Amino acid sequence: MAEENKNSNTDENSKLIGLVAQFDDPESLVQACDQARQAGYTKTDAFSPFPVHGIDPALGIKRTILPFIVLGIAVGAVFIGLGMQWYTNGGSLGEFSTDESPVFPGYRFKISGKPYFSLPANIPVTFEVIVLSSAFATFFGMWFLNKLPMLSNPLHRISRFKRATNDKFFLMIEQADEQFDRGSTEAQLNEWGAVSIDECRRDLTDNNLPSWLRLFALMGAILLLLPPVAIFRAMGMTSRAPRLHVVPDMDWQDKSKTQTVSPIMMNDRYLFADERVMRAPVDGSVARGQLDADTELYQGIKSDYVPTVSLTTPQGSVRTGLGTQDEAETAPPAEDVSMYVTEFPKEITVDEALVKRGQVRFNIYCAACHGYAANGDGLVNQRAVALAATGKAQWTSAKSLHDATVSNAEKNPLGRIFETISNGRGTMGPYGAQIPTADRWAIVAYVKALQETGIKPVVAVSDDESGEGSEANDTDEPATTQEDKTQPTP
Amino acid sequence: MATVNPILDNTYDDAGERSPLILGGLDYAGVTDEVCGIWEADKPPKIWFVVLGAAISLLMVLGGCVGHLLMDGVGVWGNNNPAYWGWPIVNFVFWVGIGHAGTLISAILFLFRQNWRTSINRAAEAMTIFAVVCAGLFPGVHIGRVWVFYWLFPIPTEHLAMWPNFRSPLLWDVFAVSTYATVSILFWYMGMVPDIATFRDRCTSKIGKFVYGLLSLGWTGSARAWHRYEIAYTILAALATPLVLSVHTIVSFDFAVSQVPGWHTTIFPPYFVAGAIFSGFAMVVTLLVPVRKLYGLENLITIRHLENMNKIIMATGMMVGTAYGIEFFIAWYSGVPYESYAFYNRAFGNYWWAYWIMVSCNVLIPQVFWIKWCRTTPWFMVIICVFVNIGMWFERFVITITSLCRDFVPSSWAYFHPTWVDIMMLIGSFGLFFTLFTLFCRYLPVIAMAEVKGVMPRPKDH
Repeated sequence: MAEENKNSNTDENSKLIGLVAQFDDPESLVQACDQARQAGYTKTDAFSPFPVHGIDPALGIKRTILPFIVLGIAVGAVFIGLGMQWYTNGGSLGEFSTDESPVFPGYRFKISGKPYFSLPANIPVTFEVIVLSSAFATFFGMWFLNKLPMLSNPLHRISRFKRATNDKFFLMIEQADEQFDRGSTEAQLNEWGAVSIDECRRDLTDNNLPSWLRLFALMGAILLLLPPVAIFRAMGMTSRAPRLHVVPDMDWQDKSKTQTVSPIMMNDRYLFADERVMRAPVDGSVARGQLDADTELYQGIKSDYVPTVSLTTPQGSVRTGLGTQDEAETAPPAEDVSMYVTEFPKEITVDEALVKRGQVRFNIYCAACHGYAANGDGLVNQRAVALAATGKAQWTSAKSLHDATVSNAEKNPLGRIFETISNGRGTMGPYGAQIPTADRWAIVAYVKALQETGIKPVVAVSDDESGEGSEANDTDEPATTQEDKTQPTP
Repeated sequence: MATVNPILDNTYDDAGERSPLILGGLDYAGVTDEVCGIWEADKPPKIWFVVLGAAISLLMVLGGCVGHLLMDGVGVWGNNNPAYWGWPIVNFVFWVGIGHAGTLISAILFLFRQNWRTSINRAAEAMTIFAVVCAGLFPGVHIGRVWVFYWLFPIPTEHLAMWPNFRSPLLWDVFAVSTYATVSILFWYMGMVPDIATFRDRCTSKIGKFVYGLLSLGWTGSARAWHRYEIAYTILAALATPLVLSVHTIVSFDFAVSQVPGWHTTIFPPYFVAGAIFSGFAMVVTLLVPVRKLYGLENLITIRHLENMNKIIMATGMMVGTAYGIEFFIAWYSGVPYESYAFYNRAFGNYWWAYWIMVSCNVLIPQVFWIKWCRTTPWFMVIICVFVNIGMWFERFVITITSLCRDFVPSSWAYFHPTWVDIMMLIGSFGLFFTLFTLFCRYLPVIAMAEVKGVMPRPKDH
């Protein structure tokens, strides 16, 4: 420190901040601090390379409020953590649902019947939120209370002070203290064992920022504003250009969509004559497991049958004969009934299990129209007939399978029933795609069993006879279906 | 400057006297000179360049692999039905576990007033952060589309239009690991500020003065600042202690909350935490033995420090061994055939080799630390600790892969095959770790000078 400044607290170039006394060991520092406090100094501070034991009472430092700040933040974090999870995932307390209220619906998936919001599942995240918030509060709170960062400090201008972070100990008495007196304070410090004493002076000559810095900072701030302004401008405007796709993900793939023109060209012509992207299988190729060469099993047609005329597949009539009455009776005379098998194929073993299976499948697929007892009185049929009576619909009544045209084994052999189920007949649709082959044969077996029980249509019979009819029914079919028949359907 | 005394043996326990934490008769300035000498040297030792060069080469391998992964998708890994969690999660748990020793040393030993921690806590905390960086890399790139990583956090985005599922342990993991990384960095940095101030005050180069001046935030060592600093440090330690336990607990929930046999056990949280500390201490020893030798820090990181760590390694190793045994007992005692099979399969199935590598490295080999020579001979303990880390990697491998490859549906059973990307990413992650650690050794205070000085015997003790 310059000698001429020794006796003036302030001159035009610098201002005295305080006196800094150096000590060589922590004990002398603590003693000096203690004596300074007893001498009435309050604006004091000590500097040491590590926290010195006992210096807090010696300097009269009050306990910091930092722990209470952290506690407050931590308690708040409990509510923030739980509230965040309740808002995003739960929100199903009582009638309140996050499905409608917030912007994003969240993960309202029912998993194993667990509630949307339950404390145990939300403890881990809540805990982490508490710890994170408290750690931030501790870290930033500590620096804030210490008034750091302070990147310019007159203390750093004292060359001896550099050892405050190494191995020396310092006591500063500030000029702002009421007791401070340049001469007597220095004497006291010497008395308390100071090894050396320095003045700490704030340099007043370079207090101002460099003149270019303001302009530079202003320009920097304006430049930084440009990108967000550009983004907000773009967001607020319409544009004909496609939106900027920063990350394409899998939005554009090197593939052709179905039902489009094939892009594959050769010699300026489409490679495929039909120009289609979708390619049919090569003629004669058979999909794995679908070689249905056994006509008896898969079509119900005798394997030794040789068609005399080109076989007209009955599929042609499917769903096109709306309004035609009794397709079977008015079937084209070309149909050769003798082509159908009259026995079950050898792969199908007819036993109770098969009939039971057929019953289950029949009740699922057939009973809706044909009725559980195959009387042609299924609920769909009843409803459609009622609608047709008012002229609101066209409907061909479902057949009673006890009808002679159906039950007659000569006119309607097993193979033909199978074929009917597979491909449909009249207004009845094909079920070949829904019901596996073996199940269709099971239904055939069940239909034959139903026909054998001889259930008659109940339209003309009395209640007593109806009861007998039910008893004669060997199957599990409830008699109620027959009574339903008499009820008018709305 | 300190006079280098012949190295005392401070590993003897004398009930009447505390063993010195620091040897060589160092005073305050001596500690500063020793630690700052590393960074003030004109040139680091040649071996430093060799290590850094090797580490950066591996880091470039890692970068190449990550680039390849991002361009081609996660299919470049061996993860496939049924082992959808392959090496990435093994590496993740391995690295995050290593990090735990640093927090244990800095926080838990601080709360227990274990003064010997002061010489090793800085390097251990740095190791924690670098290990967590390596750990975070694997789930980070595992999400496939890393450019929408923010979907992991409850940030409203119109693109996703959905919140994360807070009932999933994987999301707990996101919160736990990111909190852990953040708090570890805060703790590490806060502890380092007084030492960076020392660097600032000794620095002669302009760039150094600027950078260290900025990083030290204007720290002067004021008693009022120290008062708040110490309280803040204690609070952070008290926060980090349950945090470190929660992190590996939640990592273990990733497994334990699922239903896969071999994963669905309540022993996982304590077992994982013990294993994490075990592997972390092994890594600290592996790193610090060469560092103290290279930089001549034998007076600060004494044999007694290493011995204490080896004792912890042995203790946690036996905890892990007990857990292995208990798992088998529970598998038998539960009477659940799937559970029994899962553990029979671990030891005697087609991954028997991995299981027995794990048991040998984690349970059998650390038993040599019963012998004093083994736990006080630096070169030997490094070998043991490398084995421990191999074993701990295999522990995560065994848990993840054997359980997934033998799940409930025998038709999907398979044998896991890593691809070259899996292998190079594991090796490359060591490159990332050692690059960061080597740079840390050169440019930041390796030893917490202020803390060491705080526990040194006073020169004029009354």
